[in-house]
Amino acid sequence: MADALLPSPLHPGAAVVTEVARFQDFGYRYPESESLSLDQITVRLEGGLTLLTGPSGSGKTTLLRSLNGLVPHFHGGQAWGQAWILGRDLSTSTTRQLAREVAMVFQEPESQFVLATIRREVAFGPENLGLPAAEIADRVEGALQALGILELAERRIVTLSGGQRQRVALAAALAMRPQLLVLDEPTSQLDDSGANSLRWECQRLAGHGLAVVVAEHRPWRLDAPGSRRLELGHGSLISGLQPKLEPPSLPARSSHPSGPSAWEVSDLEVGHQQAVATGISLECRQGEVLCLTGPNGSGKTTLLRTVAGLLRPLSGSVHRRPGRCAYLPQEPGGVLHQASLVEEVSQTIRWLKLDCSPWPVLEEFQLTAMAPSDPRDLSTGQRQRAALAAVLVGSPEMVFLDEPTRGADPNSRRLLLQVLNRLVAEGSAVLVATSDTQFAHQIGDRVHELDAGQLRQRSELAA
Amino acid sequence: MNPRALAVWVAAVLLLSLGSEDPILRVLTLGAALAVLLARRRAGTRVRPALWAVGIAAMLTVLFNFALSHTGQNVLLELPGWLPALGGPLTLEGAVYGLDLALGLGACIVAGICLSLVVEPYQLVDALPALLSRTGAALGAAMTLVPRLGHSFAAVREAQQMRGWRPRGMRSWTAVVVPSVLTTIEGSVLLAEAMEARAFGSGPRTALATSKWRVPDLLIAATSGAAIAGFVLAMIFGQVPSWQPYPSLILPGLNWWPTLCCLALFTPALRS
Repeated sequence: MADALLPSPLHPGAAVVTEVARFQDFGYRYPESESLSLDQITVRLEGGLTLLTGPSGSGKTTLLRSLNGLVPHFHGGQAWGQAWILGRDLSTSTTRQLAREVAMVFQEPESQFVLATIRREVAFGPENLGLPAAEIADRVEGALQALGILELAERRIVTLSGGQRQRVALAAALAMRPQLLVLDEPTSQLDDSGANSLRWECQRLAGHGLAVVVAEHRPWRLDAPGSRRLELGHGSLISGLQPKLEPPSLPARSSHPSGPSAWEVSDLEVGHQQAVATGISLECRQGEVLCLTGPNGSGKTTLLRTVAGLLRPLSGSVHRRPGRCAYLPQEPGGVLHQASLVEEVSQTIRWLKLDCSPWPVLEEFQLTAMAPSDPRDLSTGQRQRAALAAVLVGSPEMVFLDEPTRGADPNSRRLLLQVLNRLVAEGSAVLVATSDTQFAHQIGDRVHELDAGQLRQRSELAA
Repeated sequence: MNPRALAVWVAAVLLLSLGSEDPILRVLTLGAALAVLLARRRAGTRVRPALWAVGIAAMLTVLFNFALSHTGQNVLLELPGWLPALGGPLTLEGAVYGLDLALGLGACIVAGICLSLVVEPYQLVDALPALLSRTGAALGAAMTLVPRLGHSFAAVREAQQMRGWRPRGMRSWTAVVVPSVLTTIEGSVLLAEAMEARAFGSGPRTALATSKWRVPDLLIAATSGAAIAGFVLAMIFGQVPSWQPYPSLILPGLNWWPTLCCLALFTPALRS
């Protein structure tokens, strides 16, 4: 992100935000839900950077939604207790009113886009504020430049990678020049450079008097001196606990790549119509975990899909051993359609005529208690685990995972590592495309970086 | 191309293709619509699927009219009377009239396709009067859901195939269609939530930019407007030839006045 491209101060003449929000015994239950999503929340949020952590399904997103009135006004349900956002009573202030001062970036940025091109998308919010065209243009330019995507301004959003879309969503929020910026898992798809830039940007915005509240499973990526940390568990604030801000260490895994080649690509050129990467030669052996990292938009997904046989290579060859391929797409919600989680896993078993039970994999992902639940009622992190369980049931010979740690809390990452350990021990060849380099280096026997259309080997796990 | 100029041109195509059943005028109107689509479509847009859809719609129109009209003197085939709806004579006149209807329908559809392939949807939304700006923005958002459904369908089919799903009969497609639709509905709710959170509906909207009128746009609007006015006057003064192939085929008449109006519709295809 470029330096000092947003006006300073962000709101000329605006006062530094001191008290952002105050919750007093605040509770909330979604419509038709039996459990409480928020319970007895009493907290005062101040200006600056606040990091909100907690496991998947702990109520982080719900608390963020209450900061701009989406909870309870948009979602309905039952709310009790008291809450004030920027001095306004939440019970009488609608989202539309709060939106003039509170901007939010949602957990799945691809779902929040209204218009087709980046410049118009970023302009949508300021247009709703009724600003003059010149000011809208100025804000759009500044936000795009701040997020380092000015050169993409005329691109269509559907052509962007997940990480680039996350940047567009952030730019759209910044263009609103809010007093309170609410970010829900903003680094889930960002590469390290993007996450570092976001941390810098959050610090700078907080320094300018803006209040920034971020829910994040990897809070150490955004932690900064002076930031405040809150932890949620089962809808309640865990008082007196400051979450650890170091990456949790995952159990070490040993290297098993002793088997024959599972798949091999040589002199591969991949892309949809234009090549995004060329001259790729790579082999993955049975019992090996190979990770692909690289900046957002570098073509990780395209390469993974080509190796998995979902996309034809522009040139070069792909050889896969016969056997079952398990594939987790970047947007895992797409694979879930059954009425219950256990039925979802059973469906894969039926389709593939596997001789196994759905319960062991549900157990492995700690989903047994949620087995009767509709997968679409789960939180984003829980859904990710559900989708992993649905595709990894049994013992696939080849595994292709696209951003498997998206929205995953530390426990989910640990569970995924355990399952992958089991799979490679059984002889699976695993290819993971991820912008989570820390995870890649923890699980990968080899880590390759895709950058500027070329593949480079970054590290090899000591056997 | 200025979206307002395009809108005037589309209105002219619709009027001229529906205002007369004369096949010569309809051929000219369809020709103009196709010429404009091919000459003015945005870079990177795909025309072939749209043209296939038009071709299929036209073919079905001819087939339906041929099979169901049972009117005319030149009988090509006689189907037994016990066949519901289809039973009876199938005539050359029925087929020719079906072709005439297909020409008119094709011109209208191609003009509609021009609206989405020649200018960006947001340009159309911005071109709406201020009174309709909120409706326009909502329509703009709705328009993004159509490609999203297509994208979702492709992604879900791919993911399910990797889980072992294979298309076996109509019922098997529920495994792809249901999650695609659910994902799109879920996406619509999230989109509504995001729009609300971005102050949509909180007051009067403004626009980042409005399309400027350039000389070629003015020329397109003027010729299209003239075509509309000329055609209406031609109708009032009985100068638009009426044509009906029933009960027996006759050749269509030719009148220079409405023909000139149709030729004016080619103006946008003449790029400066």
